[in-house]
Amino acid sequence: MRIVIIGLILTIFSACGSGKKKDEQALLEGLDTTKTEGPSISEEVIGSILEQIPSPLEISMLLKESGKKYNSSYLNSPDNTSKYNSNYKKALNLGVYGTDLGYTNIYEQNQDGVKYMASIKELADGLSIGQFFDIETIGRLATNSKNLDSLLLITTQNFNSINHYLQTQQRANLSVLFLTGGWLEALHITCEVAAANPGNKELQDTIGEQKIILENILLLLSFYKDVDQNMASLLTSMEELKKIYDKVNITYTYKESTFEIVDGVMVIKDNSSSTIEITPEDIANIRAATAAIRTKIIA
Amino acid sequence: MKKLIFFVLSIFALSTLEVFGQCNADALSNACIPKLTAGFNFLKSYKIEKGGKDFVEYSYVFTKGTQYMINICAGVQPTDGIVVSLYDSNRNKVATSKVNGQFISAIAYPCNTTGIYYIQYTFDGSTSYCGGSALGFKR
Repeated sequence: MRIVIIGLILTIFSACGSGKKKDEQALLEGLDTTKTEGPSISEEVIGSILEQIPSPLEISMLLKESGKKYNSSYLNSPDNTSKYNSNYKKALNLGVYGTDLGYTNIYEQNQDGVKYMASIKELADGLSIGQFFDIETIGRLATNSKNLDSLLLITTQNFNSINHYLQTQQRANLSVLFLTGGWLEALHITCEVAAANPGNKELQDTIGEQKIILENILLLLSFYKDVDQNMASLLTSMEELKKIYDKVNITYTYKESTFEIVDGVMVIKDNSSSTIEITPEDIANIRAATAAIRTKIIA
Repeated sequence: MKKLIFFVLSIFALSTLEVFGQCNADALSNACIPKLTAGFNFLKSYKIEKGGKDFVEYSYVFTKGTQYMINICAGVQPTDGIVVSLYDSNRNKVATSKVNGQFISAIAYPCNTTGIYYIQYTFDGSTSYCGGSALGFKR
């Protein structure tokens, strides 16, 4: 009977015990130890602001659906990974390449997409977050254009997991850089497309609307300016971009929305409106300032 | 001796029940992703789990000219009393998924004004206070 009791207790303790913890411990030990000194605000607040930054996929979708052709010259070369030796550069360019991958995926440029996947995997491994990037599945999906929806889904999920993980590991500084790089690359591509299509109001408005996201990015970078020299320097560059954006005016008129139920889905009719005042000169200045910051990031 | 065995087994059973009784908002939010209507691309999944506050809130920058969909998944169909409400950057209510006492499990929002939107989940007669949600977009 005693043997039965001891066996029972051992079974229970082993079931509830440290198996999972050992795995987590091993993972933690394998992590890059380069954490930044703490930011000036709680990680929770940083996480909630990071959550707001829209996916660069939305802009790529806009470009494709407005009939603009694919142009690989807008993108960072996937061969540049060897240049990125610091965590700062790796995180920023992981974001840049993430946007470039989304752009190639949306345009179903699978050969280019495979190169960007390899570059992303290399940078992610360098930041000890490669385990979240399922390159085998993505590679398989990329071979068939019928898999576009699944491809977009899994890449978005992978990047969301990376961001979530970095925040839980108190490495939100890397998330900030990753999202900043991704946003800046999307803005750069939009500016280049707009320059090739002057007079396209939708593209001009899209560039103007980025003022809202820039304000969030400036706020995020400001939390690290006293503890991370690289992020302080990036903040200074972005503040130059902000000075140009200060000339862009966005006015908003609220009007109560209405709705109807269609096939069990509540479809809202948004009766509010907004106008964006942005001049061709503003666009040219934003394009130049964005290119200057991006050149430093991808160098 | 029998009492000791009973005691040990009781502790084991209770601890198991606790695990089963936990809110698995992660699984519910993942289950919501394929329920986005065809044509919508997945953006974010949100866990809905009642904490210290009466509501759970997330925010996201919506873009003019883009249509967004937010759905709700819960253990008890259709939404187990979970209501999603959408507020604009000035906290004006844009939409709510409870209409005339009916709980709607998905809202589609064609955005006219770019800005930060607040996606707020509240509980109205919920039994588990636990759910998931997915946000998708299409042009």
